[in-house]
Amino acid sequence: MQSANMLLKKIVRSSVLPVAAQHGMKRDLFPLSRTLSLSLCLKQDNSCKPSEKLDLDAWKKVMKSGLQEEVSETVSEPQELSGLAAARETLEMWRLAGKSVPENVSEEQLKTFMECPSKSAKKKYLKYLYLKELYKKNDKRKMEEKRERRLEAQEQTSKTDEIQKSPFLCLWASTMDKAYNWRAAQSMIFGQPLVFDMSYEKDMSVREVANAVKQLVQSEGCNRRAVDPFHIHFCNFKDDSLYHKEFLKHYKEAWGKLLITVTEQCYTEIFPKDKLIYLTADSPKVMKTFDHDKIYIVGSMVDKSIKTGVSLARAKRLGLETAALPLDKYLLWNTGAKNLTLDQMMHILLTLKDTADWKKALEFVPKRKYCGFVNKPVSELKKTLDLVNTLKIGKRREELQKQFAKNYPKKYKLK
Amino acid sequence: IQPPEKPLQSEEWNRLRENFQLPEIFEEVMLNSMIRCNSPIDVAKSLLTHVAKRNGDIAYNVLVKYLTLCVQQGQVSEICDVYDIMKARFKILEIGAYNLFIKGLSNSDQWKMALTLLEEAKKMMIPSRTSYESCIKAASCHQEMKLAFELYHEMLAKDVVPTLDVLQSFFGFSRGMNGAELQKELFGILFYLRDNQIYPHKTFMQSIKLWFESIPGRKWRGRLTNIKDSGQCPVCNRQLEDSNLTEEEYNNLSERIIRDVIHGTDTFRKTSPQEFEAFQTFVENQLPFDIVIDGLNVSHIKPRKMHCENLLDAINCLAKDNVRLLVLGRKHMLINSSNWKREIMKEMQTKADFFFAENISEDDAFLLYATLRSGKHCKFVTRDFLRDHKACLSDSLTRHLFRKWQRGHQIVLKAMFFSVFSQQPAFQYDCVVQTTGDTWHIPYKDVFEEKYSYRVPRKWLCIQQK
Repeated sequence: MQSANMLLKKIVRSSVLPVAAQHGMKRDLFPLSRTLSLSLCLKQDNSCKPSEKLDLDAWKKVMKSGLQEEVSETVSEPQELSGLAAARETLEMWRLAGKSVPENVSEEQLKTFMECPSKSAKKKYLKYLYLKELYKKNDKRKMEEKRERRLEAQEQTSKTDEIQKSPFLCLWASTMDKAYNWRAAQSMIFGQPLVFDMSYEKDMSVREVANAVKQLVQSEGCNRRAVDPFHIHFCNFKDDSLYHKEFLKHYKEAWGKLLITVTEQCYTEIFPKDKLIYLTADSPKVMKTFDHDKIYIVGSMVDKSIKTGVSLARAKRLGLETAALPLDKYLLWNTGAKNLTLDQMMHILLTLKDTADWKKALEFVPKRKYCGFVNKPVSELKKTLDLVNTLKIGKRREELQKQFAKNYPKKYKLK
Repeated sequence: IQPPEKPLQSEEWNRLRENFQLPEIFEEVMLNSMIRCNSPIDVAKSLLTHVAKRNGDIAYNVLVKYLTLCVQQGQVSEICDVYDIMKARFKILEIGAYNLFIKGLSNSDQWKMALTLLEEAKKMMIPSRTSYESCIKAASCHQEMKLAFELYHEMLAKDVVPTLDVLQSFFGFSRGMNGAELQKELFGILFYLRDNQIYPHKTFMQSIKLWFESIPGRKWRGRLTNIKDSGQCPVCNRQLEDSNLTEEEYNNLSERIIRDVIHGTDTFRKTSPQEFEAFQTFVENQLPFDIVIDGLNVSHIKPRKMHCENLLDAINCLAKDNVRLLVLGRKHMLINSSNWKREIMKEMQTKADFFFAENISEDDAFLLYATLRSGKHCKFVTRDFLRDHKACLSDSLTRHLFRKWQRGHQIVLKAMFFSVFSQQPAFQYDCVVQTTGDTWHIPYKDVFEEKYSYRVPRKWLCIQQK
């Protein structure tokens, strides 16, 4: 260290240093303006520099020393790992590396992970699991917070208030259930049928089927709560299909008690063909009014990759009438596909059935997909737009002709 | 946050950490910004030391970040140290760390270690293409061409697509080297370009040219040129391969078009079996056509003109010298409307054969079928790139065939001033890397990026043996 200091001092005195300083040496290390204070500064450095110098690789020692005991354990362990364990190990390392990987992975999930065909598919699946875990955790935390707040509130009220008297027993949930079920039962006898076509399992991935079933569960729920519910039919429904498995996951033992019709038959076998209308976004025909005598069919399909014309093909094959919602007529469409989720369809159809008001019904189209409602029909708007455009183009054409004449004056004269 | 310029003491790091909003991720954020600013490695070391002192351990992701910094600055001995530490501390490493190690070590004299690491990484997952490429470059840089080619073939076998950069490096590093084996491998790369219809860019082309010219005793000579529309090379006067498919390829393609594009998963999606059958009998009775026209596409060429007028113009423009035309359209064209006048439709039907599909059917599929059925001489007219139909074909080989056939048979009409049409004719010759044994013709792109995938280069490298 001493010799190093000497060297530094020499360098400082020699004429090379100003150049070196220009090349980016730190001024606070070598305050050149005051050569007198330099020696003092170096002395101060002397006090702290050695420790700093030693420090730089200290982390390696710490890491290595911490290992000694562990290493002796791990080395004796046999290195061979089975496929699943190795996969679990990889996941753990990815999690340590800060990738979106869930903390807890079940055996089943691990197997799906290993079956993913590509690296990106694996990453996607892990991210999905990670987000799912995150949402679950957040929900749990919120629930706990809520419980604590409730307990606090209860303590406060129990101190101050006595029990209030009321003419009704507090039995809201179960009585409502009964009322809903009564209505649903009525709909099974007198209600207008609404068919969900369950024949799309082949066209969907496992995730898509799961999503479709989730949407169906939601639509069934909102139908049950409606004033005048539909009589829901699940047609082309096969036992032991993926659909069935997913439904059992959601409903558990309630699946057998649902007030809907589930059948393996096709809708064409149950209802007269001329009464059926297949609802599909690809249909060239646009629905004008809701017909209470018709039976509408909705394909239970979630289509994340764009497969156009699948449900239209099905309707074509059976020779059924098709219709699409008049989205373009009433909404200024912004972004997104025109196919809606099953529960949105359910809401729209229920509202149409009750009110026949398109504006009210189409409130259920997600807000992000459209800019606003149209007062005038879109066709008229388009006409004015076309007019504006033709005027613009007409002007442009004149300009072009002028330019052309300018560029080729001779040719024009020759003509 | 701005990383400090020189190593800090633990107390100073502590102070910085406390002032940071989220102290838990302070180290990560700090190292990230060090990577961004390319800070001196000593600063990062002092941070690690501080962390080690405080926690007695350093987390995996922090180590990986540090490793990234080392790789960025090519600190080989540090990389080796980090490897030893990580290997001892963790049972296995993840693929990201392996990629970093391989990248860092392949540029140094420790490059053999990168190869062993590649072997280790293979046990877990398919290594990334950058890993393969840095190993290949390291091997060929040290004149181990055999090893480099082994890795290259392994890469291809695992469906990892090499970049043009690594292919170029093969030519660059083999310059002046002799050997039949090596030559065979490099020709193999040229055939790879041919099979996948890849066009090298200008610098890559230069490497190829220089390699050819450097082969001792063979006297290859390369010249840059433009190929004439007739398909003749102005340098060596040879005719390039024509754009026609072979009999087998042709049959294969027509079969696949019918199977994948028209029928697909469900015939009803694009047409219906009855309609397709009707179309088939119609085509068989009228065969063969010379030009098949996509009526609706052509009728929209000039937006301010009536649709049927556009179509009539196009038909008049194409109907010379007794060519037989087939126009495909939809039934709605037959209904008298502002855009489709009945008289004009009648006039057109005297000049060409028409087939009207259902309004919800796809006429493009019929276009392809009719053209392919008519034979190799038949061309078709549409401005559509037919990308969605190409996408229906299930394997890349057939997709390449389709592209080649499309280049040779598609005529594009362009609307010019007033009522003049100009046609962009189909290519006479095939635009791929090609050889006759004593010549090579290699098309190349002027710029590095390929702006339009459908556009083929017009510039060529002609290499011939003197």
